Amino acid sequence: MFPKLDPILHSELRLAVMSILIGVDEADFTYLKKQTGATSGNLSVQIDKLMAARYITVEKGFKGKVPHTTCKITTTGQEAFNKYVESLKEYLSANK
Amino acid sequence: MEKSNGQNKEMTAAESLALITETLNNSRKDILNNSSKYFVLWGCLLTVMSLVIYMLWHFTGSPKWNFLWFAMPIGYPIAAVMGRQDKGRPQNEIGRILGYIWTVFGVFSICTSVIAVYAVPMHVTLLIVVMLGIAESISGAVLKNWPVIIAGFILGVGGAVVAVLMKSEAQLLLFALGGVLLVATGLTIKFQNK
Repeated sequence: MFPKLDPILHSELRLAVMSILIGVDEADFTYLKKQTGATSGNLSVQIDKLMAARYITVEKGFKGKVPHTTCKITTTGQEAFNKYVESLKEYLSANK
Repeated sequence: MEKSNGQNKEMTAAESLALITETLNNSRKDILNNSSKYFVLWGCLLTVMSLVIYMLWHFTGSPKWNFLWFAMPIGYPIAAVMGRQDKGRPQNEIGRILGYIWTVFGVFSICTSVIAVYAVPMHVTLLIVVMLGIAESISGAVLKNWPVIIAGFILGVGGAVVAVLMKSEAQLLLFALGGVLLVATGLTIKFQNK
């Protein structure tokens, strides 16, 4: 039977954020915003959702006097991402 | 596929996979493209330094100009200044491995040169050119780029033979060639990841 897709990941912006974070050690908010083309508000909301699901950790601090937010994927996030990709592949091969 | 532009729509399975592939590729390319400037920096520095020492040695007849090699670490503060532009840009596994390879090469080269000059005389050109070729070939393997692997092989193996056959002064031209290959590696990375 086809497994249900993870609703946290099955959303364009959250998936884009996770796809970036899966390939890097960590990424800051500005970089994620630039790479996804999202607005700050929407990106903040989606980052909060990913954090609530424990898929990423968020560290807020300052670089000099400028606020600096860094996001990092967790082991749970990596596993969920890998499972999501596998589910997509299964789904696509079943529908060929 | 377009960037999300703040949208948060549901996607089909095919769209999701396409988004993952594109985002991963873009992020990888961005990081690698940025790392190419360090190859160009060290390549230019190596070429200029080799040619300057070669000319000074050639025109004065004194091999003491080789001490100028110890000025090579000037590349580190320059790289640090260049690195300030990377603020916020993350690092990935490939960028980190390339950094390790060339740091190890730098440390080995400096230590070998110091030992050769002050303690145990040895054919330092031969050693460094082989290490340079190995570092270049491994970088090519990490980047999955055959021209860089082959260039490293030619520089390392060919350079070792030439280093033994050439007279000391002319060996500096080998390093100039090594520098050109480093610049070529940087440009290859840049264009491969545009």
